[in-house]
Amino acid sequence: MAAPRYRAAGAELLLVEPLDMFTAVFHRPSGITHLLTEPAPQILRALADAPLDAGALLARLSREFDLGEPGDAEAMLLARLAELEAAGLVERV
Amino acid sequence: MRYRTTLRVGPVGFRIGSDWRGPIAAVEALYRDYPRAEFADFSVRLEAGQPWRRWLRPSIHIGGDYRLPEAAPLPLAQGLLAAELGMNLQMALGHRRHVLLHASVVARGDRAIVMSGISGAGKSTLALLLAERGWRFMGDEFALIDPASGLAFPFPRPVSLKNESLAAIPAGRVTGPLLSGTPKGDIRHVAPDRAAIAAMDEPARPALLLFPRFGFPSAIRPLPPAECFVRLTQASTNYVAMGEPGFRALTRLRAEVPAVAVDYPDGEAGIAAVEALWAAL
Amino acid sequence: MDETPQPYRTDDDGPEPSRAATSSRRALMLGAIGASTVVAIRPALAQTTGSVLNCQIPVPDPGRAGSYIARDGSTVPARTQGSFAPPSRPYTGEEVKRALQGGQLPNSNSLSNRAYLNYIRRLQRGQGGFTCYASLQMPGG
Repeated sequence: MAAPRYRAAGAELLLVEPLDMFTAVFHRPSGITHLLTEPAPQILRALADAPLDAGALLARLSREFDLGEPGDAEAMLLARLAELEAAGLVERV
Repeated sequence: MRYRTTLRVGPVGFRIGSDWRGPIAAVEALYRDYPRAEFADFSVRLEAGQPWRRWLRPSIHIGGDYRLPEAAPLPLAQGLLAAELGMNLQMALGHRRHVLLHASVVARGDRAIVMSGISGAGKSTLALLLAERGWRFMGDEFALIDPASGLAFPFPRPVSLKNESLAAIPAGRVTGPLLSGTPKGDIRHVAPDRAAIAAMDEPARPALLLFPRFGFPSAIRPLPPAECFVRLTQASTNYVAMGEPGFRALTRLRAEVPAVAVDYPDGEAGIAAVEALWAAL
Repeated sequence: MDETPQPYRTDDDGPEPSRAATSSRRALMLGAIGASTVVAIRPALAQTTGSVLNCQIPVPDPGRAGSYIARDGSTVPARTQGSFAPPSRPYTGEEVKRALQGGQLPNSNSLSNRAYLNYIRRLQRGQGGFTCYASLQMPGG
């Protein structure tokens, strides 16, 4: 069974306002404002175009950023994705 | 209702109805220099609860377009306070034309300082002191930020001074009666000066955002963007209800206006800090 | 007392990622397990509204009456396996607030309690009970 792929909620559903180390995101369907801290804004940007599974997302992020020790990077990424999904900012396809 | 009056404060018209004449008389006296409302955006109703309570141990239930079921009634002697609380309630729960911030606002020329803080942070007293020094008083309970333009619109209601601040009442102002034994202690309402009332339709562009704290050693700290934005959402009584225009208005305010946290030990130090920050803009 | 307050530069991710062999990527922390990186801002309601809200949250909202509640809080057809029948009456704001702080909703067991709370957490604007739920999330009660 293929790993689930994730995609950011459509651009028309979100208002994104970078602040400093936090980014504010207004989620139009719920009317809720979320405060995101890294790596959530970066994940959201990486998932803005094509859907990616956790492994592909990890690869994409490590091309752009230095993620440090590999460790349980994929597990942490899945935890981050779960938070973004719960807020409606990322969806599974 | 048996007794009623209307009044306008900035862009908002109120109709106030009462089962007793006293509160209406007190409102009309305090608001004698204010225009009547051509259109009532909100109704405030000061009600007796049970019909016989108009005479027997009269106490006022605050009602209106919006009401709080658990709000405790006030004694008839505090009718003016009930009317003021009633107006606050309508604004806090019903106003949607502007983003509301718990803040006082003063202006010089066409630019304004927005001072955000909870009751007791000193924003009312600072506003009063600055108004004494030539700043235009635009309000001390609610700052009205127009989502379309980002301008602050005046909402110059009378200031309610409490306890120690009562000593600061400027001479020559229209005041309400001294109300003792209220839930907040002794209170007296003081109308703004006539120039401020006359200018109630003139908006100003926010140029400085202050988060004052009274009673601490003098300190000034610029606010980082995220902290400023979150504090603004916490200071807004209608942020959730405003939805997207609220988000846009507060992100714009945060982006366009310098934000500073100011601690000050006393009124004079507060004034000095404000004037210094303004001069440095 | 000298600083001119300046608007902060908004941060972005720094220079475009380099394709050169030497890594000039900026560090990105993937975060710690248990530390949240997405937090809903819970704006305070008006100071004047008092501490107890008499609002109600129906589970599910009237538009979905008859649906059951799945473990993750989504609504599913009645009697779907693994889902829970809805509670017999709407919950008050006070009941939901206590449950969100670790208590349990009335008329539920630990499993259905979690399902109902997940349903409530997923409420969107326009759904019955959303305003009540949003208003519960004010700091300090």
